[in-house]
Amino acid sequence: MEKRSFMFRLFQLIGLGLLQVLILNRISLFGYVTPLFYIWMIIRFDTSMNRSAVLLWAFFLGLSIDLFSGTPGLNAASATFIAMLQPAIVKLFVQLDRHDVLIPCSATMGGRSFAGYLLLMITLHHTCYFILRSIPLGDWTVLVLKIVFSTLMTFILMIVTESVTMSSGYKR
Amino acid sequence: MRSLLDFIVKHSYVFLFFLLEILSLVLLFGFNDRQKEAFLTSANSMSGTIYEWRAGVDQFFFIRKENTRLVEENTRLREMLYEMTDSQYVDQERALSSSRVVAARVVDNSIRKDDNYLTINKGRRDGIAPGMGVYSSDGVVGVVMVTGKRYSIVLPVLNGNSSISCKKKGSDSFGFLEWSGGDPYVAQLKDMPYHSAVEIGDTIVTTGFSSVFPENVPVGTVAGVERSKNGYTLRIKVNLSCDLSDLGWVYIHTLTEDEEIEELNEQILK
Repeated sequence: MEKRSFMFRLFQLIGLGLLQVLILNRISLFGYVTPLFYIWMIIRFDTSMNRSAVLLWAFFLGLSIDLFSGTPGLNAASATFIAMLQPAIVKLFVQLDRHDVLIPCSATMGGRSFAGYLLLMITLHHTCYFILRSIPLGDWTVLVLKIVFSTLMTFILMIVTESVTMSSGYKR
Repeated sequence: MRSLLDFIVKHSYVFLFFLLEILSLVLLFGFNDRQKEAFLTSANSMSGTIYEWRAGVDQFFFIRKENTRLVEENTRLREMLYEMTDSQYVDQERALSSSRVVAARVVDNSIRKDDNYLTINKGRRDGIAPGMGVYSSDGVVGVVMVTGKRYSIVLPVLNGNSSISCKKKGSDSFGFLEWSGGDPYVAQLKDMPYHSAVEIGDTIVTTGFSSVFPENVPVGTVAGVERSKNGYTLRIKVNLSCDLSDLGWVYIHTLTEDEEIEELNEQILK
């Protein structure tokens, strides 16, 4: 599989950033549920990427979202956090040889492994995000509700996106 | 030694990780309120255009609703105009000439956070200054907090730091409207004297004391009354009349120089 170019990633960052800031940030079901779809970019990082590059991309992705949401550092911290764990999490779900290059998706990982990978990544990210956002921690039940339902919402969105891109044969 | 260096080079990303995390956390927690304001304004001037673009898309979808609202408001104003006697009319004109109202569009808004802010597309250039009252056709929205050249950030009622003096319509006892998070349609009116007769369903309006707002701008209706812990004041639950999740155009109550000078004079005389 060929490697993604710098320009591809830059456009992906801008596209996902706009989607998040212009549309998704305004969704707030019952005051709790906000999908954080922008981490799709981190989900799709391939295994051949330099780890420092992974971290830097994630950091700037988060920071650009922060800039337009009035939350300095919040998304940057949580995005960098899962970007650090991403390579290890991929290896949890698939056996990789040293030189395998793999872009995580249902075609390369298998549907069930990919779903598991997605769920774990999203849960980690959302947990980090909502804990940081609610400091000083007050109401635990509300916090847990926010994490659980937002995770579900992002998960559903991503599964839908995955099935659409799969069926149209277009790989984002 | 060499292997140590190798180790460090090979794992340089770990250092990068901690560096980036520390940077983000400093951004997140190292900011005091003043720095946060600065961040908001700089972000504001940069993202104002994008916000406006987004608001434009939104407005396209809600234009009918917005129109209906404007027609309703016009009708109300016309009724008021016809009901007025001549002498009142003159008073009203004088009142209008001493203060000026600027209309602005809300380009960014949040209601679900603990500290909400909203951005409007009028700034210093249009004569907006911090401390001016913002209201919509339905009622009070908030107070201007920071102004940029073309945009301003408003501290809405739905922010823990907001406090607006309000009274029951037609009476003189007043209290302060505050919000402590949670339900974006309900705020609390505090420090209302215990003897004031407030009942569920009463209308709450602004006092006009501070000339931030004109007098009698609607705030909401009383949803519940209880005695505060110290027993001398009332805690009143207010259903806000203005739905802050659904704002299109708002009005800003700007002071003209006359009024400002008058206010300063009063302060000196005290």
